[in-house]
Amino acid sequence: MTDPLLSVRDLKTQFFTEDGTVRAVDGISFDVYEGEIVGLVGESGAGKSVATSSILRLVDSPGEIVGGEIEFKGETIFGLEEDAAGDLRPRDEMLSESEMRKRIRGREIAIVFQDPMESLNPVFTVGGQLREFIEINRDLSEAAAKTEAIAMLREVGIPAPESRYDEYPHQFSGGMRQRVLIAMALACQPDLIIADEPTTALDVTVEGEILEMVQELQEKYDTSFIWVTHDMSVVAEICDRVNVMYLGEIIEQAEVDDLFYDTKHPYTSALLDSMPRPDETVDELRPIKGVMPEAINPPAGCRFHSRCPEAREVCREVHPEARDLSAGGEAAHTAACVKHDAFDVGYEESPAIETEATGGFSAGFTETGGGAE
Amino acid sequence: MGLVRYTLWRLAQAIPVLIGIITITFFLANQIPGDPVEIMLGPSPAQEQVEAIRARYGLDRPAYERFLNYLAGVATGDLGQSIYYDRPVLEMILLRLPVTLYLTVSAFVFAIVTAIPLGVISAKRRNKPADHVSRIVSLVGVSTPSFWIGLMLIIIFAFYLGWFPARGLPLPWASPAEVRGAETQLQVLLTSLHHLAMPMVALGTLQMAQITRIERSSMVESLQGEYVTLARAYGVPESTIVRKHAFQVAQLPVITIVGLGLSTALGGAVLTETVFEIQGMGRLIITAINNQDYELIMGTTFMFGVAFVGGVIITDIAYAYIDPRVAYGDES
Repeated sequence: MTDPLLSVRDLKTQFFTEDGTVRAVDGISFDVYEGEIVGLVGESGAGKSVATSSILRLVDSPGEIVGGEIEFKGETIFGLEEDAAGDLRPRDEMLSESEMRKRIRGREIAIVFQDPMESLNPVFTVGGQLREFIEINRDLSEAAAKTEAIAMLREVGIPAPESRYDEYPHQFSGGMRQRVLIAMALACQPDLIIADEPTTALDVTVEGEILEMVQELQEKYDTSFIWVTHDMSVVAEICDRVNVMYLGEIIEQAEVDDLFYDTKHPYTSALLDSMPRPDETVDELRPIKGVMPEAINPPAGCRFHSRCPEAREVCREVHPEARDLSAGGEAAHTAACVKHDAFDVGYEESPAIETEATGGFSAGFTETGGGAE
Repeated sequence: MGLVRYTLWRLAQAIPVLIGIITITFFLANQIPGDPVEIMLGPSPAQEQVEAIRARYGLDRPAYERFLNYLAGVATGDLGQSIYYDRPVLEMILLRLPVTLYLTVSAFVFAIVTAIPLGVISAKRRNKPADHVSRIVSLVGVSTPSFWIGLMLIIIFAFYLGWFPARGLPLPWASPAEVRGAETQLQVLLTSLHHLAMPMVALGTLQMAQITRIERSSMVESLQGEYVTLARAYGVPESTIVRKHAFQVAQLPVITIVGLGLSTALGGAVLTETVFEIQGMGRLIITAINNQDYELIMGTTFMFGVAFVGGVIITDIAYAYIDPRVAYGDES
C-alpha cells in the first residue's frame, strides 16, 4: 500500500484548566489515504473537534498538543523529541507556525466548520471572502481569484453565482452558506478537507443534498476528507473507513461495511443501536445509557466500562490498547475491547459488574465519579 | 430602500422629536421663577418701563400665543431676540457654535485616535500587562468627571509648569488681529492648538475611556468568532485577521458609543468651557439661564437638541453603511 497522506500517531491534546487537565485527545492514531473519506465518529465531547484542530495546529490556549506525531505528505506538522536534558522539544523538521500558515492551512488542508451561520464574516460579501482565501492559497491575482470563486460557487450549486457573489452571508440560507464553505475548501485545491460536522446544523433534506454533492465533488477532485460527525447514518452514506472515538480515544477502526456488519466494540454497537437503520426493523431505539464521564478524570480500565452492557470486573482494571482483530488477508479492523480473545486477560472468567447500562446506576456513578466528586 | 432615501427618512423622523424638545423647553423655561425684565431693569423700575419692555419682547401675551409664535419663528429660521444681549438669538449661536464644535470635534478625534489602538491592543493581549494598563486607564477615565480633569490640568500644566494657557480658545481661522501675540495665520493656528490641548484632553478623556472599553470587549468577542478561526484555518496572516476580519465586525458597537457620546460630549462641553473660560455654547446657555433670557434658553437648548438628534441619525446611517444586515428599516 502507498504511504498515507496524513498519518496521526499517538496524538495527545490537553487543556490545562483550573479544574485540572482535560485529556481531550488521549493518544489517537489513524491514517488518511489519498482519495478517501475517513469518518471520525463519537458523541459530543469525545474529542473529535479537538483532534481536527490539532491537525491544523489551531488549538487555542489553554489547550496544547502535548505528544504524538502528525505527518502530512512527508512533512512533520507535529513531532517532539527529547533533548540532552530529557526534556521534550519540537523536532527540527517540525513546521514552524509561519510555515503552517503559508504551506499547510488552506493550501494543503482546508476545513469546513459545523455552523455555517457563524463561519462567514457578516460584514464582508460572500464572494469577497471566497476570493480572499483563493488569492492567498493559490497565488492568483484578484481578478483570477474572482473568476475561480464564481466558477466554484456554480460548482456547488449556488444559482446565479455572478450576482450572489456580491451578496452578504445573511442573504444566504444555512444550506447555501454551507455550500459556500465547501466551495471555499475545494477552491483552495487542498489534498485534504476536514469537515467538522458540516451538516449537523442543517435540516435533513438539505443534509442529504449536501452529502450527495460532496460525494460527487470528492470523486471529481479526488480530495481526501476527514468527516467528523456523531451521526452513524452520515457515516454509512459517505465514509470509506471509520474511526470511532470515545473520551479522547479511538476505540474501533474499520472499513465502513465491517464496522456496521461486524461490529467489534460494545460502544460502536451502542451507537448503532441508538439510531434507526433502514436494514433492520426494531420496536424501539436503544439510547446509550448514562453520560460520558469527564475527560478530566477518565475512569480507570476501559473508559467505556461504566456504560457498557458487557462490562466485567476485568474491564475496570485493564485498559485495552486497540488491536487489529481482522483475520489474515482482510482489511484492518482494530478495536479496544478485552472481550475479544486476542487480548487474553481473562474476560470470560471475570464476573459481570453492574453498570449504568445494566441498571446499576449508582454503581456506575461511583465508578466513574472517582476523584471528581 | 437606498441609503439616500433612508437618510431622508431618518431626517424626517427627527422633526417631531425637535418639536417635542421645543415644547418641553418652552414651558419649562417659562416655569422658572422670576422675570427677565426684572433682572434687566434692576430693582424697583418704573411700571411703564416694565410694560414697554414686556410688550417689546411679546412677554405680555398669553403663553400659548407666544408658543405658537415661537414655533412659527423656528420654522422660518428665526429663533427670536435675546433679551440679555439684545441681539438675534441665531446670531449669538452662530457666533459661539464654531468654538464648541471645534472643541468637541477635537476632543472626539483625540478620543478615537487614542482609544481604538488601545482597545485593539488590549483585546489582542488579553490579560497581559498591556491589557491591565489600558483597562486601569479606561476605568479611571470613565469614573473621573471632566471638570475635575480640567482643573487638575490647569493646576499642573498651566499653574506649576506654565506649559499651556489656562483660559480661552481662539479659533484657528480667526484673523491674526483678533488673537493676542499672533501676527500670521500660522501663528494663529499654533496659538489655537496650544489653547486647545488641555480642554481637548479634559473633554475627550471620558469618551476615550468609554470607547477603549467597548473597543476592547467588542474585539475580544470578534476575535473569538468562528469566522476568525476559519480565516486562521485558511492561512490568513494574524495581522490581517486583526486589522480586517475581526476589526470591522467589532466596530459596530463602537459606532453606537461614539454617536451617543457626541451628545454627551456637548453636555460635557458646558462644564469644560466654564473651567477654561471658553466663549462657546456652554457658556452661552449658562448666561441665558442666569439671566432668564427665555428666547436664548430655548434657542441654545434647541441647538443642543439638534446636535443630539443629529448624533443619533449619523450613528444610524453609519451603522447602515457598515453593517449590511441593517436593512434600512424596510421589512416588506
